[in-house]
Amino acid sequence: MPGVSLRWRLLPGQRLRHHGWHGECVVFNDLTGDTHLLGAGVLPLLLAIAGGPIDFDELAEARPLLDSLAALGLIEAAAC
Amino acid sequence: MLTVGALSRGELDARLAGRGLYLQTGPFINAIRSTISHVSDGIALLYADYPLAASTEFADFHLHFPRSPLPRRLWRAQVRFDHDGVKPFAPLPEDQAWPMFEWVLNWCVSSRAHSYLMIHAAVVEKNGFAAILPAPPGSGKSTLCAALVHRGWRLLSDELTLVRLSDGLLQPLPRPVSLKNASIDVIRNYVDGAVFSRPIHETLKGTVAHLKAPADSVARAHETARPAWIVFPQYEAGAATSLTPLAPARAFMELAGNAFNYSLLGADGFEALAGLIGSSASYQFRYSSLDEAIATFNRLAPPAP
Repeated sequence: MPGVSLRWRLLPGQRLRHHGWHGECVVFNDLTGDTHLLGAGVLPLLLAIAGGPIDFDELAEARPLLDSLAALGLIEAAAC
Repeated sequence: MLTVGALSRGELDARLAGRGLYLQTGPFINAIRSTISHVSDGIALLYADYPLAASTEFADFHLHFPRSPLPRRLWRAQVRFDHDGVKPFAPLPEDQAWPMFEWVLNWCVSSRAHSYLMIHAAVVEKNGFAAILPAPPGSGKSTLCAALVHRGWRLLSDELTLVRLSDGLLQPLPRPVSLKNASIDVIRNYVDGAVFSRPIHETLKGTVAHLKAPADSVARAHETARPAWIVFPQYEAGAATSLTPLAPARAFMELAGNAFNYSLLGADGFEALAGLIGSSASYQFRYSSLDEAIATFNRLAPPAP
């Protein structure tokens, strides 16, 4: 949509409870009750987004990964 | 403390036929009523060491195993089960009353005891540290558990690992070990003086027999244990013994899949399981020799203080 800026943000209600060992981590999805196993490098990205919405453009290279996190219901693309 | 074994057979039968036998298993009190001889035979044989509570006490589970009514009993006797008046299971042939009794006790705990994270796993302890053995049927979990508890390890449970949500310690629930098919003779030959219930053939799980829990494990049912190892066993005929480290996050997901109430507990279950994984070393374990398996368990390194 022209003129609208999209940002990735944590889905409202997510607390991003997580525990990690040796690079891998598990994350509890507060909205679905599911637990997700995430590979190395994914948690820092989620934590960055949890720190505040981030522009699409800034994370363009991680788009496939972000789309999969959105499909899990952890984050969403929101117009800002 | 009054135990089942202190009752005469007449007293045991009278309690079962009357207000109920208030049998304590681990932290639970089971009020049991039945006039089926297979039930009273099994209790007399396998639960002699267990404490009894007064019939005036609170009971966690009220279990009634009635015989099928006349005239049906004359041509096809069945055992039924009702729990507080609810009948969650279809009747079984009366000859299967004993395995049904054991399955029902498991069901009562696994469907109700939500102050614990409950994992479908055997759990044994030595020197204060516990090894959890989660595995699907056919993995050799119960066979290995039965061997371990007759070679120096304490039985906490053959089926239900109870993780206290309050502190992450493991709550014992020592009960008879359920063995199936070829495992029955494997353990009969491996354990001198093993006491078994009569093997029951053609159950839903094949031939089933229950091995009496060691008296010491029953006597120590109040002693919690600290989780130290999570070992996913897999019996494979002829396989060399191998113990392979398993990534903790992978072990987490495997254990979650083996838990009865992980989803129900929500975030509390997540935190309890994370605590369990964080305090334990996880392994995949393949074995064919019980002696080698036990030697491997005896070499497990205790966690750092």
